[in-house]
Amino acid sequence: MGWLDVLNLLVASLLLAGIYTTMSFGMTIIYGVMKIINLAHAGFMMLGAYFVFELFNRVGLNPILGALLAFPVFFVLGMAVHWLLVRWLPVSDQPTLPSLLLLFGLWLVLQNIGYAIWGNHDRSIYTDMTLATVKVGPLTLSVVQLVVFAVAVVSLVLLQLLLTRTWFGRAVRALTQNPFAGRLVGIDTARTARLSFGLGIAFAGLAGALLASLYSFDPDFGRPFLLRSFVIIVLGGLESFAGVALGALILALVETFSVQFVPAGYQMAISFSLLVVALLVLPGGVASLLERRGRAT
Amino acid sequence: MTAARPAAGQALPRVTATRDLAVAAALTAFLIALPLAGWQGNLRLIFTTLLWTTCSIAWNLVGGFAGQVSFGFAVFYGLGAYTAAVLITAGHVNPYLSLAGAALVAAAASLLIGLPTFRLRGPYFAIATIGVNEAVRVVMNNLEALGAASGYRVDELAGGRRVPFVMEHHYLTAVVIFGLALVVSILVARSRFGLALNAIRDDEDAAADTGINPFLHKLAVHALAAALVGAAGGAYARYAAFIDPSGVFNFNNSVSILLMPVIGGLATIWGPVIGGAVYGIVQEELVARFAQIHLGLYGALLILVILFEPGGVVGLARRIWKALVHRRATGAPVQAGGVKA
Repeated sequence: MGWLDVLNLLVASLLLAGIYTTMSFGMTIIYGVMKIINLAHAGFMMLGAYFVFELFNRVGLNPILGALLAFPVFFVLGMAVHWLLVRWLPVSDQPTLPSLLLLFGLWLVLQNIGYAIWGNHDRSIYTDMTLATVKVGPLTLSVVQLVVFAVAVVSLVLLQLLLTRTWFGRAVRALTQNPFAGRLVGIDTARTARLSFGLGIAFAGLAGALLASLYSFDPDFGRPFLLRSFVIIVLGGLESFAGVALGALILALVETFSVQFVPAGYQMAISFSLLVVALLVLPGGVASLLERRGRAT
Repeated sequence: MTAARPAAGQALPRVTATRDLAVAAALTAFLIALPLAGWQGNLRLIFTTLLWTTCSIAWNLVGGFAGQVSFGFAVFYGLGAYTAAVLITAGHVNPYLSLAGAALVAAAASLLIGLPTFRLRGPYFAIATIGVNEAVRVVMNNLEALGAASGYRVDELAGGRRVPFVMEHHYLTAVVIFGLALVVSILVARSRFGLALNAIRDDEDAAADTGINPFLHKLAVHALAAALVGAAGGAYARYAAFIDPSGVFNFNNSVSILLMPVIGGLATIWGPVIGGAVYGIVQEELVARFAQIHLGLYGALLILVILFEPGGVVGLARRIWKALVHRRATGAPVQAGGVKA
């Protein structure tokens, strides 16, 4: 590998990390506030992809605009799901078996709605942009990837502002740190939970919608990405928002570079070895390592 | 079949084991008697149902009694199937002996998986098992030595000739494995070991404080469950005569194995049996008719069970029973509900 190849791979990893972060943030928010591992995440990503697909096919809406539209739609959908199902779960400061199974059941239902409506063919979205590239110095970059990356980064910046500058964001962070103390100081936990769930699902829908421009998809579309989200949030520490971005970058780097040495068929196996290693070596994620360093100095 | 071992110390829980064991023995005897009495019904249906039920009982040992939710039981099913297939085809081992081999390999794999993953608590363990399941399937899909994605054919030879297919033999094998699983489940539920598992499920730290080693207990029950699932997988491989990674290692199998005990009633002895029986029979009917939506139905069922009756069928039956028989409302120690509120 020459240095140019390495540079190319680095940029590719970075672009991939952007969308991976968006995809994993939704899970982190929901986990942070409610201590629920959202196994239905994959289902909502899949719906996000088909949402864009339908809009593109029927109305001819640009898939990137479609993705932006998916965000509010899935926000409302998420709040509805919370109101209908999730709020009945027992409140706990750690993930419970019922919550795991409930959302797992929801995933199965969503997946089957997908099969019922769209069948199990591979779909993809093809626009003028799909194969377009731009030259940046010695690098050739795909336009779609750049746009997707830009949308992902902007959404993350907005989320960061929301979390740090608003009352809702403060409530989210407080509940993430300590739900009981949060309630003591007068945070409306039910409302915050509903909004956070909506936000989490909105990010799932957005990520799925963006990914639809990059890859082909079928109703089982979300699963490999759900598994990647796990790797990422475990790497990043389940509750750390900065850790998630770092985890996404690590996974993207490992995936991008491993293709050079390992047959593509074994890709997922590599991610999972990474998952198990991360779980064992860094039970608190990369963030805890940084924190420990910070505390030591 | 098997009598309860003499009670050592723990007198109270063992007392009820006799009744459950008697029911188990009667059920197994009835199932064995069916073909022997010349019954001409659908043995295939009962065969697959019994294999599913075995997996259901095994999952309940880990997920119900010990509270460790695993999304990776297809790994043991698949490894059992492949082990038996290879032993029979390439090793020319006696098929029944090869089932024992399947159980052993699955148990060994469970230790290998458990050593790293059981250091993790609850949700992390569940996540890791999804990962393990996918990783193993991917590896098997690419393993040329075992036919990779195109699968593996099981050739059972005796004296250089193919052994003819006799449904009764497969059926009786499944009954024996099922009976074994049932007895194991009853003995675990009514023993000190089972109580220790319940303690770990309810509060791992408190359990550790009372002198239980949660890690070793989890490893042990995981291995026990894996052996049963492995044997079931082996029996399936011999019956199907052809297996492939996307069949036996399919994530959907892990899902099904988890669904049955939840629907039937977690952390009970008969819940997984009921769940398995319902699932096995409904599955056969549904897959034939609505192949695409059966998982969605199970998903909906799962949601309904969690929201309305976390005790599953058994919990529902208990509630109805209580409503009918008011005098039993107090006193009797009800078995732990299984689902942690």
